[in-house]
Parts: sequence; C-alpha cells; structure tokens
Amino acid sequence: MLLLAPINFLDEFLLRFFSAQTVNFIVWPLIQIGLVVTLVALWVAYATYLERKISAFMQARLGPMRVGLWGLLQPIADGIKLLAKEDFIPDKADRWIFFFAPYIAVASSFIVFSVVPFGPDWAVIADVNIGLLLVLAVSSVGVLALILAGWSSNSKYALLGGLRSSAQMVSYEVSMGLSLIGALMFARTLSLSGIIGAQGSDTIWYVLYQPAGFIIFLISGIAENNRAPFDLPEAESELVAGFHTEYSGMRWSLFFMAEYAAMVVVSAVAATVFLGGWYFPFVNRLDSINHNLFVAVSLLIFLTKCAIILYVYFWLRWTLPRFRYDQLMDIGWKWLIPSALINIVLTAIAVFVVQALDGWKGMKTIEAMNMGLNLTATGKAIMIAFGIVGLFITGALLSRINWRSRDFNLRTQRRNIKLVNVPQGKPAVQTN
Amino acid sequence: MKVKTPTPTLLQKLKRFFMMDLVKGLGLTMKYNLGALVDKDAVAGKGIYTEQYPKVRPDVAPRFHGAPRLNMDPETHDTLCIACNLCAIACPEDCIDVIAMDVEIIVAGKPRRKKVLDEFIFDTSRCMFCALCQEACPTSCLELTQDFELATYSRAGFVWNREMLEQGRETVKYTS
Repeated sequence: MLLLAPINFLDEFLLRFFSAQTVNFIVWPLIQIGLVVTLVALWVAYATYLERKISAFMQARLGPMRVGLWGLLQPIADGIKLLAKEDFIPDKADRWIFFFAPYIAVASSFIVFSVVPFGPDWAVIADVNIGLLLVLAVSSVGVLALILAGWSSNSKYALLGGLRSSAQMVSYEVSMGLSLIGALMFARTLSLSGIIGAQGSDTIWYVLYQPAGFIIFLISGIAENNRAPFDLPEAESELVAGFHTEYSGMRWSLFFMAEYAAMVVVSAVAATVFLGGWYFPFVNRLDSINHNLFVAVSLLIFLTKCAIILYVYFWLRWTLPRFRYDQLMDIGWKWLIPSALINIVLTAIAVFVVQALDGWKGMKTIEAMNMGLNLTATGKAIMIAFGIVGLFITGALLSRINWRSRDFNLRTQRRNIKLVNVPQGKPAVQTN
Repeated sequence: MKVKTPTPTLLQKLKRFFMMDLVKGLGLTMKYNLGALVDKDAVAGKGIYTEQYPKVRPDVAPRFHGAPRLNMDPETHDTLCIACNLCAIACPEDCIDVIAMDVEIIVAGKPRRKKVLDEFIFDTSRCMFCALCQEACPTSCLELTQDFELATYSRAGFVWNREMLEQGRETVKYTS
C-alpha cells in the first residue's frame, strides 16, 4: 500500500504545474505509454526466455542456464548480440521496403496495447468505445509487413513465406472476427473495458457462455500469429526461415519481437473477452479498502490470465507437428469459419430464448440490461447449457459434413486427371 | 477401380470427435514439463537428462579407462616403474616406449648396475584405452585413470612424456 501512495502524490505534484486537463489527457497518457512500452518489451523478451525454458522442460532438457542465475539474463545477452550483429541488406533487395517492413510489423503489434485494458482506472491508456474493432483492424496490418518483407527480400523462400502468410492470415482473420461476435451479444459494447465491466456486473466469464467462441478464437489466434502448428510462413524444413530469411541483426529481432508482441496481444484479447480480463470474483471488495491496491491486484490478475494463455501457446507449439498447407486451409475454411457462423446463430437463438423466457410463468432470467446482458442464476444455467450443447452440435454437424470431404475431392480429381490411357504421341525429337 | 477403405468403428469415431490423440499428446508434454519442474528421476523418463558439464563434472562408469598415469611411491615419491618393458610388449597399438638406463648402485658393499626408468613415452592419440598395459604392469605403476579431458591443440600434444604422466596434464577446470 505504501508503494502505491506515490501515484496520488505524483498526481498532486503534476497538478501544480499543469491544468487538470493537460494532466489527465497528455501527461498521464505519456507516462502510461512509456511504462507500457517498456514493460511489454521486457515481457516480450522474457516470453522468449520462457518459451526456451518450457520447450526444454518438455524435452527433458534444462534450457538456457549459463547467463545469470538459471539463465535469467539470456534475453538481455541475446539482445546485445543482435544489436552488435551486422545488419545485412541483400544487393538485389528493394531497399526502402526492406528497411520499413520490420517497423510496420512492430508498430502494428505495439499500437494495439494502447487499448488493451491491463486493469481498471489508471491501468488503461485509452478506453476507446470501438476498442475491439481497433484491435482487429490494427493487428491485421501486421500481414502487410510480412508480405512486404517477403516481397522486398528478392528471394524465393522469402516470397513463398510472404505468400503463405498472406493467404493464411486472410483466411483466419475471418473466423477470428466472427468468433468474437457471440461474446459481444452479451457485452453489448465494443469497448474492451466495457466488455470486462459487463462480465463483472454479470459475475461470470464469457468462456462459460461461449466455449465454442473461445476455442475458435484461440485456434485462429495461433494461426494469425504464425505460430506452430500453423507456422507455415516460416516452416524451417521447407522455406529456410520464410519471410525473414534475408533479415539479420536488429531488423530480424524486430520481427521476432513483433511475433511475440502479437502473441501477447491475442492472449490479452482472449483474456479480456472470454476470461473476464482483470475481473476476478471478490476482488472488487478491495476497492473500498485502497483503490490503488485494487488496481494493482487487478493488473496482476490480468497478467496471470495472459500468462496462462501464453503457456497454452507454448504447450501446443511443442506438442503438435506442423500442418500441411491443404490441412491448414481445410481447418480455416471448412471448420473454423462455419463453426463461427453456427456459433453466432446459436448464441442469437440462446439470447432470444432467454429474453423470451423472462416473465414466462413467473420465471426471471434477466436481471438488468444497462451494462451488458445481466442474467439471474436460472438465465446463467440456461445460457451455459446452450453453450456446451452448442459446442457439441457444431462439432457433430461439421464432422458430419466434413467426414471424408478430402477423399471425395481426391476421387473427383482422379476422375478429371486421366493418368491411364494417355494417348501416346511421337517421342520428342531434339532439334538443333 | 474402387478403393475399399475400412469403415471406422463407433469407438474410433468418438475418439476422433473428442480428439483423444491431441489430448494424449498434450498430456505427455505436460507430464514432462511437470516432471522437469519437480525434477523426478530422469531414468524413469520424467526428469531432466541434461548434465551441466563444465560446472558439474559427470560421473563416468566405474570401469571407464581414461588418461594414463604413472603412479609413484606415496612416501618416497620415487617412481614405481621398474622399466621392465612389459607394458610396451602388451600394448597392441605399440604406443608405449619405455626408455631405461643403467645406474651404478652399491648393494651389500659391492658395486652393481641397476636398470631404472629414464623416460616414458605414451602416445594417447594411438591409444585405444584397452588397459592391457595396466594389466601387464607388475608393480601397478601404469594406470588408466577416470580423467577424460584429453583434447589438445596440436598432434604433438597427444604424446605424453614421463613428467606429464606422473604429474598429470595441466588443464583448465571451468567452474561456471
């Protein structure tokens, strides 16, 4: 509590020099931006460390152990190494585009942090009422960076990586956006803080209402970030390193940072929309004791939720082998997009049913509507049942439709491409 | 031609629907991760196999044969070698050279000549660590120790002389 006292003190101190408006809308946001950029950069650096450690543990190894205690200084050593390395630009590369692509990648993933609600009150930089839309829009600019990097490198591997990433990200963007709509029907707002507030006033996490949406969002988020098992754009065994084959030194590490920052963004959005963000039962009571302590505890809760989702990222990466390209497109178009659409329809039906049941034979399902859709215990039970049943309905329906769909395609292909009874022509004669 | 594919049973269909293989795989990696955190026995398959070599020196097998050594009498610090040349004869690789010399000593008032060791050349680059020399040695002077760091920067460094064999080679012992 003593640690948090300087915040109030600093506020009073700033108010002596500037007007209240300047302090609230210029000075504090600048401080917040500085803090967030520093902390996110540190978080990203240590995400690489954690990834190496966790992958090592899963393979019965130790991971980095030499730099510092348990290798804790490894990310810093890596950063210094990358800064000191030569920043090589290939001779035939499109210099300016090659130059700018990493910055676009980093900027697009760092801008998103401006609307991510790390906690209540002062822990959020900007509470925009179209927050979720902004997150989706800005994070998809990252594709541009990968395409530009792939194109400007003037290398076949980089170009193929860029092509793959563009196809993959365009197809997974759709299901990512669609999977969020179900949750928005309950929250009735696009503001990220508003979504958390709606979950807080409903005292539930939307993952219970929307298990299908959560799963779809996670899978398409992993694919969107080009992470294994969807890391086709940088498949080592096929494309050397994909779109960043020709990059080296600091510019390469910018791509690396962008990847990890994008991961943090997706996990932050997943935690916000489906896991209640900084909302945790009974933490609200701290607010009456000490406001700043409440904010700090909420911040920790949010970061813990993000860390758990990040762990799932690592866990999946070191468990699953990479998908083939046709399998990747299969999952995107045949499974995720239809199931996201089915999820929207089922959620709409569920919301309609709950609203229709309210007041029917003295049943009470809706408590309030002013801050999201607040349901009573009966309403919650109905909604959770709808969510779980909907998950199985979606799965069963799609597996019925997609059962042997690839076999079917192969059979038609076999019929169309005649491999037997090819008319035999004259053998080619070499002229000259 | 119609290709006949086996129709899956209900159990197989259910397994595929609930993605049991994925769950199994995730469980395996989780098991290893938790095993590494609590560091269970590596031999059972749930711990960490990695050895931190320069920091922690590994235990070699009890019958491991490494760098050769010429043992000395612990009290007088004279060599135990009697220059009998048995080790050089026993060596299948012919990598040992025992160079002896005669010295005059007086035994019971009469001058006698005694064969003593002058120089001992051991070529570790040709040695295959079979320890037949160790078996042949009648005074258990020549011994293959458990030391395994034999690398040098030059070919000549592999040839050990008497001093190196008696004192041991100077190697940097890394501790961190």
